[in-house]
Amino acid sequence: MAYEPIIELKNINVTFKEADREVHAVDQVDLTVDKGDIFGIVGYSGAGKSTLVRVINLLQRPTNKEAVVKVNGDEMLTLPARQLREKRRNIGMIFQHFNLMNSLTIADNVNFALKKSGLSKVEHTKRVAELLDLVGLSDKSHDYPTQLSGGQKQRVGIARALANRPDILISDEATSALDPKTTESILDLLADLNRKLNLTIILITHEMDAVKQICNRVAVMDDGRLIEEGELLQVFSQPRAELTKDFIDTTTHIESSLAVVEKQDIVQHLKPGEVLVKLGYVGDTTDQPLITALYDKYKVSANILFGNLEILQGTPVGNLLVVLSGEPKKTEQALVFMQDNSVSVTVLKSGDKEVQSND
Amino acid sequence: MTDFFNQFMPNVVANWTGDNGMVQGIWQTLYMTFWTTLIGGAIGLALGIALVVYDENGILSNRVVYSILDKIVNVFRSIPFIILLSVVFPITQLLVGTTIGPKGALVPLIIGAAPFYARQVQNTLVQIDPGVIESAEALGYGPWTIITQVYLREGLPDLIRTSVLTIISIIGLTAMAGAVGGGGLGYIAVSKGYQRYQNDITIVATLLILVIVFIIQGIGDLWARKIDHR
Repeated sequence: MAYEPIIELKNINVTFKEADREVHAVDQVDLTVDKGDIFGIVGYSGAGKSTLVRVINLLQRPTNKEAVVKVNGDEMLTLPARQLREKRRNIGMIFQHFNLMNSLTIADNVNFALKKSGLSKVEHTKRVAELLDLVGLSDKSHDYPTQLSGGQKQRVGIARALANRPDILISDEATSALDPKTTESILDLLADLNRKLNLTIILITHEMDAVKQICNRVAVMDDGRLIEEGELLQVFSQPRAELTKDFIDTTTHIESSLAVVEKQDIVQHLKPGEVLVKLGYVGDTTDQPLITALYDKYKVSANILFGNLEILQGTPVGNLLVVLSGEPKKTEQALVFMQDNSVSVTVLKSGDKEVQSND
Repeated sequence: MTDFFNQFMPNVVANWTGDNGMVQGIWQTLYMTFWTTLIGGAIGLALGIALVVYDENGILSNRVVYSILDKIVNVFRSIPFIILLSVVFPITQLLVGTTIGPKGALVPLIIGAAPFYARQVQNTLVQIDPGVIESAEALGYGPWTIITQVYLREGLPDLIRTSVLTIISIIGLTAMAGAVGGGGLGYIAVSKGYQRYQNDITIVATLLILVIVFIIQGIGDLWARKIDHR
């Protein structure tokens, strides 16, 4: 896939003036999203994610003069009101609380997006039917929003957002109010739309699970700043910022299970030649019978205390907490052997001395 | 039947038709209520919408315009109606050429009702989920579409309810305006019933006002319930 930028944000600052202080909701952010990306932006609430994405369609204007907001190559900030509104129709948006109109039926809610489309009445009806079919809600067209479940309401939101055939879809915590199963079906739908319509998706969320499931790129936001950004696989396997690690741990549970693992007898009383290590591996490495090799080559046995294996964009990413035991010298050699095979090895505790975790 | 009326409410029967009769009173009350609702309602609605869209979080957020409108509404809401009646006297003379009768009562009635309704409209419309407004903005709609297609449509059930409330207060105001020369059932109840010790007139005038109120309330409730899908 050619990397063709569809959204370019440069030097974005959004500062809110409050009575006694200034709040930097977005602080000097640069961000480029390529066509066809599913770009995840994670962060805790209040990190500035929602404010940042609202800069894309200028529901929120940057408060500094140096800011650049380009969508499909057009500078948005200098557009007159009317043209800006037209551009907004090219950027669909879905919301955590769906934001449907309760006074309108499902069909009318979708139709509402088509007011300025210039379509004839017959074409309106046809397009609405098409959209409801796309999100799997054809049978609900005459219902009102209150009669629908959360997942169904979000599907209506998606149909409405896609009505004007946008190139970009902004999802603002769209799955945060939904149960896990519904979340998954909505994420599947988004991934499907990304493929079918070559729709570029910006997915804001505080759930790393959602990012893991469908995003190809991810950025982490904290206190208005982008603290980390990259390919999903790279960020997931080699996170740099502490917050990124925290977020990743919310889905792998490696760090949090470490506390439990460390209380186990076998870990409490490690003998010489025994080490507690965290092993991390990406892709092909996983397929090698590594643990067997350790025993064959070094007579080092591995006791797996905790493990997590993810398939991210078709590539396996694994993390294991393991106690290795053997002759002290052989254990050392085994660790080197694993590192040579592109396994990241972090010694957390060893039989003779304790080692600080520094990965 | 006629005997019953003659026996228990002789004064009502005697004053049923003719100048300042009950029938005329009903029409005058309806006349004042109708025009006040129509003109005062339109002004109040526009003011109420303006208060919402020019508000700090509104789609046309403008501190100066908001605070001017807000103060105007507050001032007129604060003047007791009975005083307003006499204060606007010169304006009334200028606008409608008379200060007595139902027509003369219209100006103070409208000035009294419009700010009241404006606040009602404002309170109703600010309750509409800001997210729904934002989603309309994200769909590329401007203020006019958002006001007419989102605010007024989403707010309609509650607008009907507050309108009914306002119309009922307008009927109350017409009675007060009547007392100082506006005519209508209020005038009849006070000047022909109370002041001349003709209690049957007071009671019947009261009942007639209640009937008008109940009819308006009933229609409003039915309508609001029919279109409310929350």
